[in-house]
Order: sequence, then structure tokens, then C-alpha cells
Amino acid sequence: MSGNSKHAVNDTPNEQPPVAKGHVELRYVPYGAEKESTYLPAIRQLISKDLSEPYSIYVYRYFLYQWGELCFMALDEQDSLIGVIVCKLEPHRGGPMRGYIAMLATRSEYRGQGIATKLVRMAIDRMIEMDADEIALETEVDNTPSLRIYENLGFLRTKRLHRYYLNGNTAFRLILYLKPGIPYKPTFPPDYPPLSPSEQGQGLMDEDLIARQAALMRIEDVRGETHDVTGS
Amino acid sequence: MTEDQQHGSFNFAAHRLAQEARQALSFGSRGVKDVTAEFATAAKQLQPGQLVKDDYFTLFEAVGALEIMDPKMDSGCVPEDDSFEAEFDVCRGLEAAEIIWILDELLCLEAAWHDGYPLSQTVFTSLHVDRLLSPDNNAPYNLHYDRRPAGDLSNDEQLVHIVLRAYCLALIKCSQLVLHTVQSQNFYEEEDFVTHLFGRELLPKLSTDECYRLLDDALRFITTLNLPADTSEALKARLAFRRNYLAALIDDTDDWPDLIARMEVIDSTNSLGRPLREAFSDKVQRQLATSTPPRPMLQVSWKDAYARWTKMCAGIIETERLTSFWICQSPHCLQRAMWAFSYLEPQPNTFARAYLQDRLFGSDRITEDVSHFDLLLTDIRDLVLAGDPLADPDSFQVELPSDPRHQCSRHIEAFMDKAFEEYLNVYRMVCQNRCRIRRTFTQAIPIMDALETEAIRTDEELNRLAPREAMPNKSGAKVQLNPLTTWTKFYKVQIMARTIQLGFETEIYLPDELCTMYWLLSVFAHHQCSRIEAIERHLLVRTLSLLDHPQQNSRYAAECMASRDWLRSLHLQWDATRMMALALWRLCGILMAVRIIEAPKRDFAQDQLLYDARMKPYLSVNNEPIPSLQDLDRARQNIKSVEVTCKSIEMDVKEAKAHLAEVKMMSPEQAKYVGTEEQWKREMKQLETTCVAIAVQASQLMRIAGKHGKKGAQEGDSLKETVEASIPPPEKRYHGWWVVPQLKERKM
Ligand SMILES: CC(C)(COP(=O)(O)OP(=O)(O)OC[C@H]1O[C@@H](n2cnc3c(N)ncnc32)[C@H](O)[C@@H]1OP(=O)(O)O)[C@@H](O)C(=O)NCCC(=O)NCCS
Repeated sequence: MSGNSKHAVNDTPNEQPPVAKGHVELRYVPYGAEKESTYLPAIRQLISKDLSEPYSIYVYRYFLYQWGELCFMALDEQDSLIGVIVCKLEPHRGGPMRGYIAMLATRSEYRGQGIATKLVRMAIDRMIEMDADEIALETEVDNTPSLRIYENLGFLRTKRLHRYYLNGNTAFRLILYLKPGIPYKPTFPPDYPPLSPSEQGQGLMDEDLIARQAALMRIEDVRGETHDVTGS
Repeated sequence: MTEDQQHGSFNFAAHRLAQEARQALSFGSRGVKDVTAEFATAAKQLQPGQLVKDDYFTLFEAVGALEIMDPKMDSGCVPEDDSFEAEFDVCRGLEAAEIIWILDELLCLEAAWHDGYPLSQTVFTSLHVDRLLSPDNNAPYNLHYDRRPAGDLSNDEQLVHIVLRAYCLALIKCSQLVLHTVQSQNFYEEEDFVTHLFGRELLPKLSTDECYRLLDDALRFITTLNLPADTSEALKARLAFRRNYLAALIDDTDDWPDLIARMEVIDSTNSLGRPLREAFSDKVQRQLATSTPPRPMLQVSWKDAYARWTKMCAGIIETERLTSFWICQSPHCLQRAMWAFSYLEPQPNTFARAYLQDRLFGSDRITEDVSHFDLLLTDIRDLVLAGDPLADPDSFQVELPSDPRHQCSRHIEAFMDKAFEEYLNVYRMVCQNRCRIRRTFTQAIPIMDALETEAIRTDEELNRLAPREAMPNKSGAKVQLNPLTTWTKFYKVQIMARTIQLGFETEIYLPDELCTMYWLLSVFAHHQCSRIEAIERHLLVRTLSLLDHPQQNSRYAAECMASRDWLRSLHLQWDATRMMALALWRLCGILMAVRIIEAPKRDFAQDQLLYDARMKPYLSVNNEPIPSLQDLDRARQNIKSVEVTCKSIEMDVKEAKAHLAEVKMMSPEQAKYVGTEEQWKREMKQLETTCVAIAVQASQLMRIAGKHGKKGAQEGDSLKETVEASIPPPEKRYHGWWVVPQLKERKM
């Protein structure tokens, strides 16, 4: 997720972001279990800076309310938000317990100091504690910093996803296995009842619209693959 | 990949929403009650951010939510100083120059739609199109459906109501036909194409004949006007293009070259247009059924659009050439044709790819005389059963139930039924976008493996019904050919090899993985070579026994000769692949041994788990499992010093080149590349150049190592400070499937 970054768009209006001077003392804290932290607006702002189209507040709430402990923030001495990671963890198609890194961002003037790496590490550690089998994510094929971070930690590219993002950019799916035997774990097709034609609503109720919405937001590989027990 | 499987969770979400909507709607019958106060009180009991949801509320539903009145999300939101609708009177008369510009702009937008952008950002932004598609508009679809114009129309008005309207209607009809073709074939929504209509219908009640008639009227009308000659010609060329495009889409003609010619005329008169931007507006999105945020109308330059149209027509002409009768006669010529098509530069667009699929799979025949069944049977015969009564089409006609030919044919038929779908996918999948070719091939592996189990069973039956002579294999043991098993394995391993090769092309592998993946490719190639050798041995015996009785069956003898050539060409190609893969395995291996290529730190990874993740597609293979992690490690230990390795690379390359040189001499009929001669030649050249590049890099490594007295360097030593390796991106390679690291001496 979180990949539909504005391409070649500088995220500060006044060009070259100033590099934060000197050493900043950062605190790394989990978002935690409180219902809605005061940091939500800052998180939203930081993430949406790099998105061509914003996520609604419900997307953030969806993650933060259910997996607040898998969200970590880097705060400076004034408690302003410098970096954030947002994740979830749930069984993937009834198979392995899959962690998913949905969003990751560092404020532009603080980039290149290992902040995002630290956040990803914390999220992985926590997912391991929570018994994750694997961790997946997508990132744009030319997002070198992001690829660098994940690949340094042990992720492998498993798929190239053609025109995955809103802006037409292509992505890599990255995966990290945490336990042996994951490829042998069976997964199951979603067994939802098929929609009968008479039930297909009009306008906003149309299933197409929901499918499209989800696909456009590219929250996950919503279009999926042909289902087979071995997956790919 | 049925829609159902893909969209299972959406279906479910939609199902629920529909139910909820029904319940919500039934309120009306029970009267209306204002719940504002109750709602507010209830809401106060929630903490901010608290999510009240049942187990079925998924991420899809979360992203389906919009923030109403947020201008970036709510496409219906109208900023205060803005009007809801675009203020342009579509009935207003326009000058010819403005019409020309609009028609060209429509071609630009249509090209963008072909390129994968939604109609809402392209064709639908035309206010004229919007008016024609308006839900209130009805056949015969006039622009002024809501208010009849008073009195006679001026010329400018007639240009709009006769010419522009006819053009727009035909354009909509064309879009509908394109959509139909695309949707009837395999494609990936959003990735390749957006089929969404945003609640609009593409004039279902308007017939093609009616479109022709309107276009003809428009053409006639133009001749009655007193326009400057070039303007008049420009308008006519555009209308004629539209008419012929429509005719080509509906299959009334297949004169795509004519379309290219017309496009040239349009291009040469493009400058006659006078911009009228107000005729387009993204405000139409406010009235389209969509839950996606508002998006700007697409800007496509005429130059781009022109190039795309020309490419598309050229692509379609190529589909016709590549599915000509002679190509379709031979499964392998056709397979080469599919790859050649897919690798045209740039890759043909979704419509052209669907068009090709439609030509081949639109009916049960590949071409007039060749059914899909014949194609598969010919394939099996070409590869494993040339000159054999088994799998001879005639044997399928034997009706006597006690005749072994009859019995065997029934078994073969049953096997073919099972193989059919996946076999046709060998052709179809190549028509997908490059990322999907790899992924669908990956999914084909377990299916082919299961098919192989089926083939083994069938071969046992065949051996029982019609026992044949066992032949000594390489190690002297007598073995049966087991034709169907061999055939299935051949395809399975070919698909497995392709997934690796496409992995290189799509940059799935990091530099430190190249070594392993080339080793695996060499293993697959090795299996293919042994398999082909086995087939060749059995073919030889069959041929000799036929030669003993030449008068008996000359058709069989001819088949055997053709198959012999074909097998030789396959053998040579797989041998070349094997040697090139080995050479690159060695090169990458030595670069890793002396730390010129290093693996990332990977703090969270374990070797076995990395192996599992990388090999996942191949781990499900039961028949002939792939090498284990230990096997791969053991192989790497065979890589000794820089000097020894570079010598071996030189030998590998030499051998690969010899194989290529030999296969290059084979004719299109022998090596089955009829119809794709040019691509074959180019590919041979690319492979040869790759060989040279590998040798050059190996000697470069030797030279630099020698200069620093490090020719003997091996595992444990480091040349990291001395040599630098870069991995060329696909566009800088001689061939996308072959990654040759580029070496350079580090400046001290
Ligand atoms: C991706 C992002 C989170 C990285 O944040 P960060 O705090 O700068 O990350 P880190 O400092 O931990 O690591 C960045 C790595 O990328 C490398 N890097 C940065 N720019 C690079 C470039 N142009 N070329 C090569 N490497 C680069 C750094 O050297 C570092 O790697 P190293 O640890 O091997 O030295 C940040 O760039 C960002 O917010 N981008 C926009 C949002 C986004 O793209 N999110 C990721 C989508 S999943």
C-alpha cells in the first residue's frame, strides 16, 4: 500500500528539503491501544504528503484501531511526528499468519538517517512476538530507498505487479518468511456467497464500484491470483 | 481466474451492502423518523477513532468509504465558486476548424483509454459524448434531445448536429466493440484496461448500420459546404477513418493498413484544428456513478496519440500475419509467433492482444483446417510420436473396439481432454502483460505437475495395451519412451525455465540471487537435453524400422525426418541455454566468492527460509523435485579460483556459441520458425552477443585480478576494493533474459 506517491513531485514547495541539522534525539513509540491517539492527524498528514490521492480517515482507523500496537512513531523532542509505520496482521486466505506493512514514511528533511529502517525493525519484531508466519508489502519498482530498507532486512521480491498504482506505476511484492514450511501451508479461496444478478444494486451499491475502489487504492493485491493451494 | 475468484470478497461486500440498502429502502414504507438526536447521543458514547464493526467489515469496505465534501475525495463536491455542470452549450454551432480539433482531441482521449485509463478521464470528458450518453437521452440520440431547435440550422450548427454527432455516435459504438473484444478474452482489469462504464450504457440500441448511415450523411453534407479544400478533406478523412475503423471492428473488413493510411492524412491536417477546450470538462465525473476521487482529464499530445494509433493498427496487422495458415499448421511455429507478438516493441496494447486471442480462441479452430484438438495432437506427434501409429489421427478413426489402436486412442483422448486447457494457456498466457506471463506460468507449474501424474497413468495403460520395445538409456538400463509423460514433462520444465527467464527480465532477483537462479536454469536445461536425447533414441529406432519397409508408410518416414530435425534444433537451443546459464552461474558465483557481489545484510532472514520464499513456485513439483538448498550450496563449492573459473567460463561460452552456430543454420521449416524468421535471426544475434559479453567480462575479471596479482583469489579472499560490478537493467542487456554483470576496476 502507500505507494501511490506523486512521482517526481517534490513534497516541499520550497524545493530541496533542508536536511535536519545536527543530531536529533528521537523517541520511538508504539501508537498503542488507545482508541484514537492525538497523533492521528499528524500521521495522516505525513503519509498523505507522498500520495497523489488521500486515503479517507477510515483507512487509517481501520489499521490503527485494530492493530495500534503494530504502528510505531518516531517523535522528536517536541513530540512532533518524524516518521511512522502502519501495519496489520491476520491470516492470509485462511493460511499463514501474514503481517502486512501498509504505510511507511519519514519526514523528508529527516530521511537517510535510518529512521524508517528502525521503524520497520520494530514492526517486524512485534509481528514476530505476535507469531507472524510471514510479512508482505508492495512498493514501487523505482522507490530505491524503500527497496533498500526492506531488502537489507531480508525481504525478497516475489512478483512484479504491472501498473499497480493509481499513477500507473508498477510495483514489486516483497516477502519475508519468518517460519519454516510456509509455502506448504494451504490457503483457501474466499468462500463468500456469489452475488445473484438480482442483488446487484445500482450506483454506489454496485459491486464493481467497490472492487474498483479497493483496486484503485491498492491496499492489497485485491485482484489476486488464480487461486491454487500452492499459490505463487 | 474467474471473476468470482478474483472478486470473492468484493462480491461479498457488495452482497452485504445491497442487503443493507434494501433494508434501508424499506424504511419508507414504515414512515420516516428523525433520528438525528438519538444518533448524536449514541455517537457521543464512542471514543474518537473507535471502530464499531462486525467480522465482515474488511479493508475493502474501509477504503470504500469517502469523506463527503472533501474535494479531493468526493467527486460530487462542488467548490463554492464553481458551477456544478460545465457551462458549454453542446448544441451551439461550431466552425469547421473547431470540429477538426475536437475530433482529434477525441482520438487522443480514445488512445489514452486504449492505454488503460478510464473512460471517465478520457472519452467521457467530451461534453458532446456526455450529452449523447446522458441517461435521459434516447434513440435516435440527438444532442438537442431536450429542446428541439427552432427554425433551420446554420451551417455551423449542422456541422455539430450532423458531422460531430455522427462521429461521436460512431466513436461510442467503436468503444463498445473494443470493450466487447477485450472482455471476451483474458486481460487484467485496471492493469491492462479499465472496462468500467460509470453507470453509462454505450448506446445499445444504436445499430452499426445506423452509424454507417449517419457517417455517410455527414460525408455527403461536407461536400455540400463551401469549405476550403484542405478543411473539407480533413473532415472527410476523419469521418472515413471512423467509418473504416468501425467496419474493421465489426469484421466487415480487415483493412487495417487503410486505417494507417487515413491516420497519416489526419496527422498531416492536425494543425488545421482550432482548440476549443470548453468542449471537454472533467466536471462530467460529478454525474458519473463512481466512488473514486475526481481525476483530471488526461492530457495526451497529438504526436503521442498518433503514434499509438499507428502502433495499434500495425499490431493488429501483425496478428493477422502471425496467425496465417502456414503458421497455424505447426504448434511450434505458432508458439514462436505468440512470443514474437508479445515482444514487439512496444508490447501491443490490450485490444491488439485480445484481438489475437480472439482469432485463435474465438471458435474451436485455430484456423480453417486446424481444430484446437488437432493442434494438441500435432504437438504431441511432432515432439514424441512422429511416425508412430499411436497418436496417428487415423488411429482415432478405428472403430473396432478390440483393436488396440482404438483402445489406445481412447486413452490418449482422455489425457488430451485433461491437458487441453493448460495447453491452450501456453499460447494464451503469452498474450498477457509481461508481469502476468511470469505469474500465470508460475501457477501453471503445479497444474502441469498434476498433469504429468495423469500422463504417467496413461502411459502405463498404453504400454499395457500396445507393448513396445524398451530402449537402453544412457546408463544402459532398458526404458520405455512413455510418450505422454515425456511430452508433459517437456512442457512443464519449459514453463519452469520461462518463469526464471522472465524473473530476470522483470528484475525479480537481486544481484546475489543471480548465481542460484542461473544454476537452477542450467539444471532445467540439462533435464530438457536428456529428455530430448531419450526421444531421439526412440525416434531413431522407429525410423530405422520404417526404412526397412519403405513402401509401407512414406508419410511416417517423412514425419520421422521432420521430427528428427525439430528435435535437433531443440537440443541445440537447450544446450546453448544450459551452457550460457552455467557460464553466468560461474561468473556470478566467483563474483560472490571474492565479494564483488555481496548479499544484503538480511538481519531477519534465514537461508532456508529465503530458499523457501524464492523457490515457492517450484516446491510443489512432485515429479522430479528441484535441487535443495544443500544441492545449491554444494554446486557453489565447485567454484574455485578466479583463474580456474574464468577458464571454465571461456569453455562454456565456446560450447554455447558452437550450439548457436549450428542451430542458426537450420531452416525455418526444420527449426519451426516459419513466419518469425526475422525475430529468430534477431534472437540468435542477441544470444551470440550475450555469449561474447560473458566472455569479455570473464577476461576483464582475469585482467584486473592479474594486474593486482590476484588470479588465484577464491572464496574467502576479497576483490571488493579492486573490482566493481554493476547489473545492467533489462533495456541495457543484449537480451532481457540474460543478465551479464558489468565489471570495472575500482579507482583507488
Ligand atoms: C522510504 C522512506 C520511508 C525512507 O525513509 P528513511 O528514514 O530515509 O530511510 P532509512 O534512512 O532507514 O533508509 C533509507 C535507505 O535508502 C537508501 N537510499 C536513500 N536514497 C537512495 C537513493 N537515491 N539511491 C540509493 N539508495 C538510497 C539509504 O542509503 C538507506 O539505505 P542504507 O541503510 O543501505 O544506507 C522515505 O524515503 C519516505 O518517506 N518516502 C516516501 C514514502 C514512501 O515511499 N514510503 C515507502 C512505501 S512502502
